[in-house]
Amino acid sequence: MKTRFLIAALALLAGVPALTIGVATNGVAADKPAVSSGIVSSGTGTVGGIKVPSANHPITLDVPAEATHREITDDQKRVRNYADQPPLIPHAIRDYQIDLNINKCLTCHDRRNTAGSQAPMLSVTHFQDRDGQTLGTVAARRYFCTQCHVPQTDAQPIVPNSFQDFDSVLGHAQGGQK
Amino acid sequence: MFLSRRDYLKAQAAAAAAAAAGISLPASAANILTGEGAKLNWSKAPCRFCGTGCSVMVGVKDGRVVATHGDVKAEVNRGLNCVKGYFLSKIMYGEDRLNQPLLRMKDGKFDKDGEFEPITWDAAFDIMAQKWKETLKKKGPTAVGMFGSGQWTIYEGYAASKLMKAGLRSNNLDPNARHCMASAVAGFMRTFGMDEPMGCYDDMEQADAFVLWGSNMAEMHPILWTRVTDRRLSHPGCKVAVLSTFEHRSFDLADIGLVFTPGSDLAILNYIANHIIKTGRVNKEFVEKHCNFKRGRDDIGYGLRPDNPLEKKAKNADKANDSDPITFDEFAKFVEPYTLDKAHELSGVPKNRLEALAELYADPKVKVVSFWTMGFNQHVRGVWANNLVYNIHLLTGKISQPGSGPFSLTGQPSACGTAREVGTFSHRLPADMVVTNPEHRKHAEEIWKLPEGTIPDKVGYHAVQQDRMLKDGKLNAYWVMCNNNMQTAPNTAKETFPGYRNPENFVVVSDPYPTVTALAADLILPTAMWVEKEGGYGNAERRTQLWRQLVDAPDGARSDLWQIMQFSKRFQIEEVWPEELLNKKPELRGKTLYDVLFRNGQVDRFPLSDLDPNYNNFEAKEAGFYVQKGLFEEYAAFGRGHGHDLAPFEQYHQERGLRWPVVDGKETKWRYREGSDPYVKAGEGMRFYGNKDGKANVFALPYEPPAEAPDADYPFWLSTGRVIEHWHSGSMTMRVPELRKAFPNAVVFMHPDDAKELNVRRGQEVRVTSRRGEVRVRVETRGRNKPPRGLVFVPFFDQTVLINKVTLDATDPISKQTDYKKCAVKITPVNA
Amino acid sequence: MTIRSALLGLWRLFARPSVHFSLGFLTLGGFIAGVVFWGGFNTALEATNKEAFCISCHEMRDNPYEELKQTIHFTNRSGVRASCPDCHVPHQWTDKIARKMQASKEVWGKIFGTIDTREKFLDKRRELAEHEWARLKNNNSLECRNCHSADSMDITKQNPRAAKMHETYLFTGENTCIDCHKGIAHRLPDMHGVEPGWSMKTSAK
Repeated sequence: MKTRFLIAALALLAGVPALTIGVATNGVAADKPAVSSGIVSSGTGTVGGIKVPSANHPITLDVPAEATHREITDDQKRVRNYADQPPLIPHAIRDYQIDLNINKCLTCHDRRNTAGSQAPMLSVTHFQDRDGQTLGTVAARRYFCTQCHVPQTDAQPIVPNSFQDFDSVLGHAQGGQK
Repeated sequence: MFLSRRDYLKAQAAAAAAAAAGISLPASAANILTGEGAKLNWSKAPCRFCGTGCSVMVGVKDGRVVATHGDVKAEVNRGLNCVKGYFLSKIMYGEDRLNQPLLRMKDGKFDKDGEFEPITWDAAFDIMAQKWKETLKKKGPTAVGMFGSGQWTIYEGYAASKLMKAGLRSNNLDPNARHCMASAVAGFMRTFGMDEPMGCYDDMEQADAFVLWGSNMAEMHPILWTRVTDRRLSHPGCKVAVLSTFEHRSFDLADIGLVFTPGSDLAILNYIANHIIKTGRVNKEFVEKHCNFKRGRDDIGYGLRPDNPLEKKAKNADKANDSDPITFDEFAKFVEPYTLDKAHELSGVPKNRLEALAELYADPKVKVVSFWTMGFNQHVRGVWANNLVYNIHLLTGKISQPGSGPFSLTGQPSACGTAREVGTFSHRLPADMVVTNPEHRKHAEEIWKLPEGTIPDKVGYHAVQQDRMLKDGKLNAYWVMCNNNMQTAPNTAKETFPGYRNPENFVVVSDPYPTVTALAADLILPTAMWVEKEGGYGNAERRTQLWRQLVDAPDGARSDLWQIMQFSKRFQIEEVWPEELLNKKPELRGKTLYDVLFRNGQVDRFPLSDLDPNYNNFEAKEAGFYVQKGLFEEYAAFGRGHGHDLAPFEQYHQERGLRWPVVDGKETKWRYREGSDPYVKAGEGMRFYGNKDGKANVFALPYEPPAEAPDADYPFWLSTGRVIEHWHSGSMTMRVPELRKAFPNAVVFMHPDDAKELNVRRGQEVRVTSRRGEVRVRVETRGRNKPPRGLVFVPFFDQTVLINKVTLDATDPISKQTDYKKCAVKITPVNA
Repeated sequence: MTIRSALLGLWRLFARPSVHFSLGFLTLGGFIAGVVFWGGFNTALEATNKEAFCISCHEMRDNPYEELKQTIHFTNRSGVRASCPDCHVPHQWTDKIARKMQASKEVWGKIFGTIDTREKFLDKRRELAEHEWARLKNNNSLECRNCHSADSMDITKQNPRAAKMHETYLFTGENTCIDCHKGIAHRLPDMHGVEPGWSMKTSAK
């Protein structure tokens, strides 16, 4: 079991040059998920793993820029990794002004505006000031939304992430997210 | 919800059946877990990323981190994290975590041109020790070196410092903090004779105005920005001024936005000093009592290789740090030419804005805090910029008082705690001491219980010099820990990579992930990270924070501390020290470096029974003593009683950090001020006790141009930097899918009119080329950064866009810190 | 005095019946002159309806136009873009002339430096924006609708959120474009007291 894991891990490692180099030897395009290509190309089964001849170090190569990734604007909520994770933004925020004049996000998500906008209201934590006092309005320290909330693109992870949420750790994998 | 509707119905049926049969089922709600099973083990730890020093609560379940959130009890962040901090839970779980040492091999033996193959830790240390010993024998201690980190824990930095400076007797130890903080350090030392800020974050709740000098806090110090934002939006009349070479997110809060020509900040700073003097707003009493005036050397070169024409031309390259005393009147005369017209002409900033900025400082009623980070520090005149901003705070007396003062922010979580306070620079020892001072060396040798003369007196190779010496074959055995310098050093393709691949050299890289630096190494050591080990960090406001080991590292990965200590076991003292040194302390004969450095009766004096039984501690259990506590207490001996007092080890595990000096259990918020700083005696009011006469130095320093500026062949300025979603080279944040998807690749931000003129458009691929190298990257003409015409900005987090192939390895000649913000490039469309 | 007598002489000449030219010639000539004059006037007027004219003033170039470059009305998928007059000059002749007369005030501002710095522009921004909001509100967002016809919208192609809003507020005639889309092409001024379109009637009282 342990050996199998080791081989798998090293196979993953073998994928890394492909990823960093961008132009993998087997002709995989740079924007393809790195790991699947890594697993395929390391099919030799050598536990030797990571093949990085110095001549092929990424720094020596003319690496093409990855294709631009498209924004995800499907309005679908994503399951959070844990309760305190700030929700991701599932819509476009192009040209959303957040400055001394106006906070565009609040025009929908502020308590006063959610009936008209039908957008989710900011969580109650956003009404608390530094001292934990709940204010009548959104706390000034929470003014710049994009410090915590970010939109997503359809870019593939550079490698998968094996984080497991609470439910997965306990074996309730069904509803949980990996 | 982890119960499906079907499960729920089944549970209902079971409950009904059980009720009918008179059996009671275990207490739980229908679709939530209750009782002990629902609980997480929460512990505090400082955030792994920037120098703000937010405290994070880490939730552990069954040996895995399953959640993180901002610590509501922490003074720094009061429950908030930025987007990176909120995703800390995932940084350790990238599936390419290294878990075995990998050595380049051919036919079962090390070969520089071989391929990486897994080996045991024993074999790894064998080959390392062999290479180190060969090098020491052949060329002596100046040919071995280590490149450390402002992300090292305090213990790791301290152990590394002992190993290098005492054990191997080489000062070729430098941290990546050289790239980020060195100019701030030199600025502090020149003006105050003592490192690190006098004020603290509490200033933010009391200031009337904030000035950002080359700092995009909105993205790089987001939690501090929440505090500035809070103040700006809720304190009537509060103003924010932001200076940068391009418009960025911090301008969204700015009342006064100033986009200036690269390098001209020096002229603006001198103009403000001149304005303060000319309008009669010098705080004369303060200046007379607390300030000296000095004229620094000018024409000091650009820290390039000595054969570079710019260096040959520079008059004072070899005495860049010298200065002569002058009078106030001479200083006033020196800044006189820096009129509003001249500042406007050099900077391109409208005059009304320059005046509005100057008034924030000049107006005695306005409490003003200046912030800066890499805009000042990564600057060929970075030390000057630091000195000049102190000038204007000193002239007005707006310093070290609640709500007023200059504040140098840090980029790394322990740039202060480890790199600066422990002194892992090539010229430093703990507590602001330097290797060139015999008294300081003696003091360190006493604390370390070593014979006099152990620590070499010559300054070692600094970061950029290490790369040059590797390339030139003068530095041959080299260990890189806790940083990704192949991605982040300047001019990497020409100056860094050749050194790593130089056949004369053996390069070891310790990292949790296969970074581009690891891939350039000969030996890769898999490293435990963050809460997989017990640690301590020190943030920008002198706050020291310790944490426990909360989860175990993946099988096979070991902390840097463990690695350093294990490696020290491989050296007999006779192999590394000369006879005359051994003769001074013959009782050390026959011992290993491990014995001499870590089993010295101090580091090993706390038994395992001192460990908190609720947490594992891999390093301590391996060593057989509480190694972190021992290292901490020995290290603390340097600072206690010398203005750097740390509290007892255990106290830090109770508190959300304390700001040194901590005297009688009480932290210090404002240094140099009576009533707040225990080192200032009653009646003194204020004393800059870092300098012997208790006075701070106001420096007369001119504007001098950058090392490279755009010309006909390379018509654009290039500035590099970060984005909020990623931290530094992205080796952690790019492995968090949400962060990768939020900002997947580096882009080149440019003005739409420049794009139009180049016949390129948003999303199109271009080459960014300098005299040193080039990258391929896509164009961005809108979004968060809005450069003026003639300047482009490329972030450095993306390992597929190694922008540091393009940057110039010019440094500040005093601090040796690279200028990553100014070089000349051209832009050409790909496929054209 | 001399100017007065010259003018008087000119008038006399003008008022006296022609002795040299035929009526036909005069009528035809007058018509041609009229056409030339009218054409010239319109050409000149049209020239002022070009973006190039708008941004020949640095006040316009450095402020609203610079901001426009960031927005969807300037860079977008297909490259169809709005130029200044598309949104700011009415297409109906009478409205256009009315707007032009109003615009002469802006020229006045240009000549006398009312908005010669970014700061002055920002100070004036709320007032200037309010003029445009009011104009678009009054004409039911006519200049928006010159391109964006509500009848032609296929809301299956819209983001569900946008589709819902359009169904609720636009197609019902309850709101007009500008009610919700303020700041679509330039940065917004200080918005204190300006409620978003979707909350004007619905915000909790």
